[in-house]
Amino acid sequence: MDRQAICITNILDDYALLSPLRYRNNYLKIGIVTFGLLMGVSSTSPITPILIALSMFLATVLFGAIPVRFYLKLLSAPAVFVLLSVVVIAFFFGTGGELFGFDILGYRFSINTGGLNMALLVLARTLSGMTCLFFLALTTPMVELFSVLKTMKLPDSFIEISMMMYRYIFVFLEVAWSIRYAQNVRLGYRDWWTSLRSLAMLCTTLFLRSWEQGEKIFVSMSSRCYDGKLVFFEERRPIRINEMMLTCLYVAAITLVWYSTRDFVFV
Amino acid sequence: MAILETKDLKYSYPDGTTAIRGMDIEIMRGKKTAFVGRNGSGKSTLFMLLNGTIKPKDGRILFNGKQLGYDRKSLRDIRKNVGIVFQNSDDQIFAPTVYQDVAFGPTNLGYSKEKVREKVTETLEYFGLTDLKDKPPHHLSGGQKKRVAIAGIVSMQPQVIILDEPLANLDPVGADELLDVLNALNDSGTTLIISTHDVDLAHNWADHLYFMAKGKVIGEGTPDKVFNDPELIREAHLKSPITLDIYHEIERRGLAKPNQHPTSVPELVDTLKPPELMWVEVPTETLEGDVLNLGVLHGEYALQSPYEAVNARVLHMHSDGRAVVEVVRHGIKAGGIAIYDIEQYDPDGFQRIMETEEIAMIGAMGKQSKMLAEEYHIPIQISSGVIDRTLLMALCGKRCLILTSGGMISHSMKRIDEYAQRSGIAINVSIVNHD
Repeated sequence: MDRQAICITNILDDYALLSPLRYRNNYLKIGIVTFGLLMGVSSTSPITPILIALSMFLATVLFGAIPVRFYLKLLSAPAVFVLLSVVVIAFFFGTGGELFGFDILGYRFSINTGGLNMALLVLARTLSGMTCLFFLALTTPMVELFSVLKTMKLPDSFIEISMMMYRYIFVFLEVAWSIRYAQNVRLGYRDWWTSLRSLAMLCTTLFLRSWEQGEKIFVSMSSRCYDGKLVFFEERRPIRINEMMLTCLYVAAITLVWYSTRDFVFV
Repeated sequence: MAILETKDLKYSYPDGTTAIRGMDIEIMRGKKTAFVGRNGSGKSTLFMLLNGTIKPKDGRILFNGKQLGYDRKSLRDIRKNVGIVFQNSDDQIFAPTVYQDVAFGPTNLGYSKEKVREKVTETLEYFGLTDLKDKPPHHLSGGQKKRVAIAGIVSMQPQVIILDEPLANLDPVGADELLDVLNALNDSGTTLIISTHDVDLAHNWADHLYFMAKGKVIGEGTPDKVFNDPELIREAHLKSPITLDIYHEIERRGLAKPNQHPTSVPELVDTLKPPELMWVEVPTETLEGDVLNLGVLHGEYALQSPYEAVNARVLHMHSDGRAVVEVVRHGIKAGGIAIYDIEQYDPDGFQRIMETEEIAMIGAMGKQSKMLAEEYHIPIQISSGVIDRTLLMALCGKRCLILTSGGMISHSMKRIDEYAQRSGIAINVSIVNHD
């Protein structure tokens, strides 16, 4: 696949389009992710969510062929927020024996067992939730989700509009980039005021372009006998036996861990 | 027979600008027609009129001799049969994946799901797009997008395909591949109409040309007719094609046959034969205008191929039994062109052909052939302008192999035969892997 090297893979959707897991059954993927989310959030010990996070990470990176560096970079943005909040939780919540503490200007800051347990649980749950969603986002591109939306009985016009929006986001992204470049080389973003003015011009042009584009698409669609109805083609991707077995095994294992660790406390 | 006709067609835009001021055109079934004119001469507007996208202010449009109606049913009918490929592929490809876009037309025609699937699969295969079917359009190159746009029209099986500036923004090899596809489509009976301001393309490709300026036809006819009218070319704001320019210059210097009209490089080369005159001794009863057989020459006397049968036409009889003759040489073993149908590719057979046929160069025509060559590591020396360049090699006594398939086979055979007939040089052409 030489194409893989050429196309600009800088957004999640691009990775998902190239992922081998793209061609697996969408409902199965969504099922696994929903299961992971629910189990992770409902677990009372951090062990289950950590297990889920780990399995989702491995599934995305190994089966989904997503580069580890990219994955970690993606994870790092929300992870920073989570870590900050976890520190706050550890210090200010919970009761129990003091584990660690210090004085600042006469105030006592300390972590107790309850706080630490709670912080760990929050950290684990957040990570499991994020990895589950990343798994879905990095293996299921938008184009696969349209047929899922259709089965969920969403109104046709809603899906049609979102299909076109999806398609033309990239067209306009390109237009926006080239306009910005054209403005930039003529010093359009020299200082704050010119930036503001240039941005305003860019937005105006984009708006007019999208209006024109809409008319052009209508002409080209009606020249192909469009009569107001789009038909969807869903690629049939039956769930294979081994996929089903692996999923059942996974569900069973996670449920078992979830059940047996329900009274587990870390400290 | 005319498939599309207009009679005194007029159109002006809602804001009052007149785009078409009285046009009478006749598009012949199965032909390749090109509309040539500078930007803003009304080509795109004309095309939208031809498939009922916009309604003329005045005048009539006839499809297969029947006047175009503007009710739902007639519009559907004309749009099924006259497909338009727009200049900017992004205006046309709206679906999130290639497959869905190509399926759009057939679905609108009300075909059953199975029939749509079958049509789309077949079309994608034909255009070499099968591997790209699940891609979103923004992951495609310009040439690929163009092929998707054309595939979206071809899947509706129209009788006429109109292409607005089909080669704009394509790289040279991409443009050439597209032309091969178009020629194959035309060979299977589709009437093609293009607009262009590329005079070389119009000159070389089209059967019939319309020169347009300011919403009117200012000249029409076969390429050799319209491009031999300098006044018309100037009026249309165009320039003369490069092969003609070169031909006129060398002809002016007495290096080429006069009154020729080369549209391609092989044809240009063919004009490079100044009459070869010589004195020979002839039997006394010979008359002026007779043709004498001078036998077979080889070695340094054979100028164009290893062996030449040389005939001489007597131009002038001299009193002492000598005459001035014009020598006409026919290569006995000009090179040849072998066509290989890749749909029946087998590696061993191919190797055998390469050895027994003494192939000097291999050319690949069409996307599928190039993909096959890459897969089986077949070295390709010619990947664009395949027919012209293999002809040139054949003229130098070499044998070339063209890898191709489907409609391009018959198209290549036809082009080579035409050239052989026109130039009088026998070029051996055959499909090597058909029984």
